[in-house]
Amino acid sequence: MTLVYMIRQVLAHPLDYFQDIQQPNRLKWSYGFLLVFIAFLARMGSLLLLGYHYETREAYEISYAYEFVWILVPWLTWSAANWSVSTILEGEGKFKEILVGSAFCLVPYIVLIIPVTLLTNVLSLSEGNLYSLMTTLIFGWVALLLLIKLKVLHDFELGKLVFITLLTLLAMAVIWFIGILLYGLLSQFLSFFFDVFKEIRFRL
Amino acid sequence: MDTLITRCRKWLLAPAIVCLFVMLPQQGYASTPYEGYIWNTEGRDVRSINGYVHDRAIDGAYLPSGPFNGAEDLFIGPDDTVYVTDTGNNRIVHLSADDELIKVIGDTEGPGKLNGPKGVFVKEDGSVYVADTKNQRIALFDREGAFLKELTAPDSPLLGPGFSYSPSKLVVDNRDYLYVVSEGNTKGLMQIDGNGDFKGFFGSNDVPFNLRDFLVRLIATEEQKAKLPTVQALAFSNLAQDGKGFIYTTTLGTDVNQIKRLSPVGVDTLNRGANKYGDLISYGGPFQVASFEDISINPDGLITALNVTTSRVYQYDKLGNLLFVFGGNGDQDGVFTTPSSLAENAEGTIYVLDKARNRIDLFRTTPFADQVHEASRLYVNGRYDEAKAIWDEVIQLNGNYDIAYHAIGKALYKAEQYKDAMDYYRSANARGDYSEAFRQYRIEFVREHFAWFFSGAIVLFLGLRYGLPFLFRRIRRAKAIGGREGNPLKGEVEAS
Repeated sequence: MTLVYMIRQVLAHPLDYFQDIQQPNRLKWSYGFLLVFIAFLARMGSLLLLGYHYETREAYEISYAYEFVWILVPWLTWSAANWSVSTILEGEGKFKEILVGSAFCLVPYIVLIIPVTLLTNVLSLSEGNLYSLMTTLIFGWVALLLLIKLKVLHDFELGKLVFITLLTLLAMAVIWFIGILLYGLLSQFLSFFFDVFKEIRFRL
Repeated sequence: MDTLITRCRKWLLAPAIVCLFVMLPQQGYASTPYEGYIWNTEGRDVRSINGYVHDRAIDGAYLPSGPFNGAEDLFIGPDDTVYVTDTGNNRIVHLSADDELIKVIGDTEGPGKLNGPKGVFVKEDGSVYVADTKNQRIALFDREGAFLKELTAPDSPLLGPGFSYSPSKLVVDNRDYLYVVSEGNTKGLMQIDGNGDFKGFFGSNDVPFNLRDFLVRLIATEEQKAKLPTVQALAFSNLAQDGKGFIYTTTLGTDVNQIKRLSPVGVDTLNRGANKYGDLISYGGPFQVASFEDISINPDGLITALNVTTSRVYQYDKLGNLLFVFGGNGDQDGVFTTPSSLAENAEGTIYVLDKARNRIDLFRTTPFADQVHEASRLYVNGRYDEAKAIWDEVIQLNGNYDIAYHAIGKALYKAEQYKDAMDYYRSANARGDYSEAFRQYRIEFVREHFAWFFSGAIVLFLGLRYGLPFLFRRIRRAKAIGGREGNPLKGEVEAS
């Protein structure tokens, strides 16, 4: 099972694909991180290739690190939240399957966002509906794959699927909240020690 | 011998050169106490060439009428004479265009005695309307300065209970209707007819919807509601009228749409969305909301407004684009201590009244400003190609001037030079217009390269119709052969 074959499979037969990856030793951790990195590259590429009149930000307002964090962190927190929620509620998925499987859900975005972005170089703003429709379809596909992944990996029926999805989103929000809280406390804590250090240094 | 002479010459020459430098007259260094800047389309403040420089000052102390005292308003009549509302001295001082005293309005005794007037308006025929603030009336004087009549506080159920009349600024339109700013009144401009009857409120600011307040009011009990601060529309601080009967207003306490152009039916025609006037951000300190206290409109539609928060004067074109900023806080000529009012005369000189220094500072335009004004006048009237030549020169002088790029882009678009127009729109950050030019350019491009596009379409069609199926057939056949050859075991198993 090569990476390319898996990509083709997730696009063409997502149900089969998510069944297949539950076989032992089918998935590699590296695939997940590789795909997320490629998704980041596709994102940066789409920002670079966007037609001038479609740009909403100035070049100096775009940060590579920021964009990367905005792909990496949601992916990690989604996987962690989903795993913790579904494990409690009798889901069958393993963490590796969830993490790498989620990364594979980004494949439609990776494959399609560049061609769609290139389209903005020949479309004027009045035809922008076409572009926004296509990006919406891409994100819709990604979302659909995420749902299929949840359903197949954990073997849930529809009602539970919706319930778990909402719970996962909630758990994500909680993780982010705690993260921001920790960050705030930590920076306060550190700045306190720095202040103490400064104070002592001035006194000596 | 020869060397001795040269040595002596050297010794003599050195002090001579020193003397030369010392005795040369010191070169006068004239610079404004403020730096020219403009807010560009990226939302940054960038250097610009000053549009106005200090010309001269009129100090009341040098006039026969004596020094001003806390003067609040300036008005320049159609004949370029200046009316100064000398609030602290309870009078209106009328000056000629050459800074000479013509007359003083406001009697010392009787009904023509003013009390803390804060605004003045002079009609074409020279009759003077004074907002006699502390007397709560509008006082009318004739062109010689003799008291005519007064318009006392209007009475109307529309005014509501507890209404306190405190007229501070006013204009009079062609129908002799007065538009009065009454201090602390949030319902809009008061429209008063020539007889002093109240005719209604005009062009009031709306109260923006606030979700939090709405939710609080939904939950709160009657007693709690009574304790909540009432939400009121923002009050106008000043007004001005242009030749076409549009009324320009300034509003305090908001950071958007502080300047409005009200049509004769009271609709704002200057701002489509939320426009920010004054400074967009301020460096080195907390952001202060711009407080425009006075506004002046010239016949070409240029809007000049005085922001007392920064003590600066901001000039906008008819469409609301920032052209120039000048002034500031300070004691030199050209900056102000507490500016209170401004006005522009027919020559384009801007008078700024400083009520703490009790003087009027006059600013004249620079050659750069003259060019920009001329180009802007042509541009807002839609004469893009005439304006283009001047805008080109403006860019030569000041590459930071984004409106110039935009204007040239429009001229090029009109001349159907879409590719060049796109470049200029791009420099001006005008994405909407860029997109329009791009659309036209695309049509042009396809038309020019029609043969290529047409043959490309034919090739594509043939390729999809015949080429692709042919390719698939070949691949399938190759696979079938390869499968037979590459896996002989399978065949054998089947055979056995």
